[in-house]
Amino acid sequence: MTRLEKVFNQNETKNKVLVTYTVAGDPNLGSSKKILKDLIASGADILEIGVPFSDPMSEGPVIQKAHERALKKNIQFKDILNLCKQIRIENKNVPIVLMGYMNSFLSLKNKLAKELNQAGVDGVIVVDLPYDESKSFFNNLKKENIDLIRLISPTTDSKRLKRMLASSSGYLYYVSLKGITGAELKNFNEVKNKVKKIKSLTNLPVVVGFGIKDAPTAKKMASFSDGIVVGTKIIDFIEKKSTPKISNFTKSLKKAIN
Amino acid sequence: MKYKNLNNYAFPDKEGRFGEFGGKYVSETLITALEELEKVYAKVKKDKSFQEEVIKDLNDFVGRPSPLYFAERWTKKLGGAKIYLKREDLNHTGAHKINNTVGQVLLAKKMGKKRVIAETGAGQHGVATATVAARHGLECIIFMGEEDIERQALNVYRMKLLGAEVCSVDSGTKTLKDAMNEAMRDWVTNVEDTHYIIGSVAGPHPYPEIVRDFNSIVGKELKIQSKKEFGKYPDIIVACVGGGSNAMGIFHPFIKETKTKLVGVEAGGSGVKSGKHAAPLSDGKVGVLHGMKTYLMQDKNGQILSTHSVSAGLDYPGVGPEHAYLRDIGRVEYQSATDQQALKSFHDLTKTEGIMPALETSHALAYVNKIAPKLSKSKTIVINLSGRGDKDMFTVAKEDGMTL
Repeated sequence: MTRLEKVFNQNETKNKVLVTYTVAGDPNLGSSKKILKDLIASGADILEIGVPFSDPMSEGPVIQKAHERALKKNIQFKDILNLCKQIRIENKNVPIVLMGYMNSFLSLKNKLAKELNQAGVDGVIVVDLPYDESKSFFNNLKKENIDLIRLISPTTDSKRLKRMLASSSGYLYYVSLKGITGAELKNFNEVKNKVKKIKSLTNLPVVVGFGIKDAPTAKKMASFSDGIVVGTKIIDFIEKKSTPKISNFTKSLKKAIN
Repeated sequence: MKYKNLNNYAFPDKEGRFGEFGGKYVSETLITALEELEKVYAKVKKDKSFQEEVIKDLNDFVGRPSPLYFAERWTKKLGGAKIYLKREDLNHTGAHKINNTVGQVLLAKKMGKKRVIAETGAGQHGVATATVAARHGLECIIFMGEEDIERQALNVYRMKLLGAEVCSVDSGTKTLKDAMNEAMRDWVTNVEDTHYIIGSVAGPHPYPEIVRDFNSIVGKELKIQSKKEFGKYPDIIVACVGGGSNAMGIFHPFIKETKTKLVGVEAGGSGVKSGKHAAPLSDGKVGVLHGMKTYLMQDKNGQILSTHSVSAGLDYPGVGPEHAYLRDIGRVEYQSATDQQALKSFHDLTKTEGIMPALETSHALAYVNKIAPKLSKSKTIVINLSGRGDKDMFTVAKEDGMTL
């Protein structure tokens, strides 16, 4: 059983899963590592680690700035792999998922899957790699048991969804809104219906992300899904230089969803 | 790789690719919108009444066909091949960009979209979009890098006069690529009522095809005009390449006419060897940006490098995927011209022919300036004079050490 399967299997009997997103190297590598460790200690079940990119097209202003801060520190892909390795040495169980843009992953060429595996990475989310373009990428990752986590959006219709589910693994990430990260989430019922629909078609766990910024929203979203993703709000603390607050915030989310 | 037979050249393929290039690398949310666009476009491509509507606007609103002009004095001065200019600068709004926006706005209406958005670098595409939006009464938002807003103040004001909202983009390098990022962010948020009018043969499928098709009126006219003017197709066609829309427009109808040599000229900035340029086909690597796989200026980690060119319209780290393919099969030759060479040609053409070209176009002129003297007088070169230079007055004055 993979680390991701383990986390979600525990979930069947009790806990909803809390997924956190932070950007590798934001505000610098050392702090980034410390923040990840704090997140684990405060209840994060899965770490999504952003790979900073010069052109983060799907991100709202808060996460864009996080990418810019990390790039100012000249973060290289090998630094990110090292960061994952260090986390993995200290924690054997927490799944690590790298989230980024296609051009970053392409830079590792055919070594990508192997390098990810060696760094203890469990999955990859590629924002600008839709299902249609992903066949060989998916197969290459599979060889090293790395899951390609699919993003499903409000505009994904059922026909397409069924095709996507045939080559999905790990978990599914439902993007709760049409827009960029950190935007305002308006229609709960729409999200609920869509998640129910997805769950009726697959056994894979479904987590909901984009626009979840507080405990009450997290609670609502978790009530019909397998877990939630929080990113912008955590990064907001980093931007405002109040990283000590991250821990309590994470604990409050964890409490709210269970 | 060298092409063998181009008789069956028919790209993009059904996956939206030109060889390995192109594709649809966008977030899941945009896929439905792209599929809809693909479907609607395939339909109108065969729809006679739609095509007639486009032609009518190109004739009566844009002022087509644009003349093929013999640059007699410049030809004499260079002392070699005969040089002709395809006068896209005479189009309404002053550049080839309007050929595409006239078509895309009709597409937007066909899809029932009430709002159009666009990115712009030099401001020509922004103006061309704002113009058709005004003509059809659609809401219009133009995204433009902060740095470009400064160097293209005149075009910014034109867009505002036309009723468009100009959004200043201050992320990243504050130029064209960042404007495109921001336009994508807007589109993903407002995808239901908004059509994104991409201004170059770039972006995800089907944009490279759509923008090429609407611009290929330039090459189609040239086929007729060159036969009439000098009894054959041109020996060489030269165009500047940023994203590559004016070049693709004039090249595409000639791809199978292999006796005609096609040359694209990229922005060499301070020189390709200096690293300060915008010439991904001369000095870039294959990657993925803005929805397409193509040649990009990037570092070893895949970070997109900041580009440099005196012309805002060429200041872009990528290039349309069909250009990438045509480069690889050797059908089009890609060269570059530096800022200084382009500026010199700007002055030359202005003084010799009384035609003030855009700085983008001046890169194509610079290449011709170099090769024309070496060619026999029986040869003909056609340059796509893609835009007029009025918008560049401040930049040229600054380069010449003048304040206006």
